[in-house]
Amino acid sequence: MVEAFAVASGKGGTGKTTSTLALGMALAEEYDVTVIDADTGMANLLFHAGLSSVDTTLHDVLVEGGAPVEAAVYDRFGMSVVPCGTSLAGFEAAEPERLRDVVATLAVDTDVILLDSPATLGSKSAVLPIVLADRVVVVLQPTIPALSDGLKVQEYAHSYGTETAGTIFNKVTDPDDVQSVAEKSRRYFDGPTLATVPDSDAARKARRAGEPLLAHAPAAAAAEAYRGAARDLDVRSGAADDVADRFRSAVIPEQR
Amino acid sequence: MKLPSGRLVHSRVVDDPGAALAAALDRELTGYAVLEPQETLLLAADARGVLTLTDGVPVLTYHTETDRGGPPALADLAVPGPYRLELVALPADVLADLHDTPALRVPPGMPAQRLAGDPDLAARTRNNAPDSRVRESPASGSDSGEPAQQSAVEAFLENEGKIEAIREQAREEARERAAEWGLDEVCE
Ligand SMILES: Nc1ncnc2c1ncn2[C@@H]1O[C@H](COP(=O)(O)OP(=O)(O)OP(=O)(O)O)[C@@H](O)[C@H]1O
Ligand SMILES: [Mg+2]
Repeated sequence: MVEAFAVASGKGGTGKTTSTLALGMALAEEYDVTVIDADTGMANLLFHAGLSSVDTTLHDVLVEGGAPVEAAVYDRFGMSVVPCGTSLAGFEAAEPERLRDVVATLAVDTDVILLDSPATLGSKSAVLPIVLADRVVVVLQPTIPALSDGLKVQEYAHSYGTETAGTIFNKVTDPDDVQSVAEKSRRYFDGPTLATVPDSDAARKARRAGEPLLAHAPAAAAAEAYRGAARDLDVRSGAADDVADRFRSAVIPEQR
Repeated sequence: MKLPSGRLVHSRVVDDPGAALAAALDRELTGYAVLEPQETLLLAADARGVLTLTDGVPVLTYHTETDRGGPPALADLAVPGPYRLELVALPADVLADLHDTPALRVPPGMPAQRLAGDPDLAARTRNNAPDSRVRESPASGSDSGEPAQQSAVEAFLENEGKIEAIREQAREEARERAAEWGLDEVCE
């Protein structure tokens, strides 16, 4: 049984990586969670997870005759974490299509896969996480550019047969004001508002310490917000068989 | 808003309004910037946003389609790029007359904050603004602080036509690119 979520936003710096790891750790209380840095062009999950000096990353797996997936999986913070390297050469050598096999292979042995997704929709490798995922978690900020890019991500996802699991409002400075923004945006975004996460020094400090927020400051309000998001996310157990096939054959529907 | 023709100093396609604002700031342009969304779809074909600038710092904003000025025009301008950007230089005295239109004024950092969601660019812009303008509030007097940012966001979310245009454009783009990347025929 597995469900794969892309954590995406279309816009940079909204907190996708922070959210991926926070949601992952919160979900790991109940599920077997695998987190993959699918932002292969601008990877930074490794810096958030204290994995910046590991030898084998997703880049090494995404090449012909490359390392087996298992070599790039690290047990950290109660999850299986697949970091990606940051070199341009690694990105250029990587064949995006191979991400399918990575997801298909890992899917056999886990409950939840979270794909930390790129801040762009401008290339095949950038949209592939959204194509492969069953559903997308849209990370928003209560600003016009972030909402507009979030809408774009959702439309891409829906065009590629991927549903919306819900939204997360991150870096919220005024919790009262965000309520009405969240309410108004519910008209356009499918799924529940999973969390409104306050703008939080703890989140910045966690990043600097190279630890996920929930490991660095589990008592912070932002951490609690992510635990709430995990509770509200209705993980759907797919059929245990043909899981691998599902990801290997994920294609874009002809017309919707 | 009637604009004198001036001298075109820069014309190119930019991905987002932030790039346009940065280009004007870096040049310390005195004149105006015209932003024309490239994919208008459901928007009127002549929908354009205009910002006047002194030394690269925004002073007035206006939107041709909605005929609104000031902070509401910023909400109207917030559609996805790319945009065609034109920067036009004007003599400072010509601009000074134009700038005597309180209803269209915006505080210096507001365009960067609202259109680009870029606090660094907003701070850089405020640094370039004369002291007298840094604490300027817009015409309404009620639209300068954080709640105003929210009200602009809410105004954006209430504009169903524009949101539908954004979605329609994204769907179109998603389909085109899928074909381009061979994503609609892989496997099986
Ligand atoms: N709730 C928050 N409060 C304050 N800072 C935050 C919050 N969430 C994330 N940040 C900080 O914002 C920065 C960007 O976060 P993160 O790397 O998670 O974003 P991202 O969307 O993955 O970025 P990119 O698009 O570059 O991949 C980081 O420095 C992070 O620590
Ligand atoms: Mg990231």
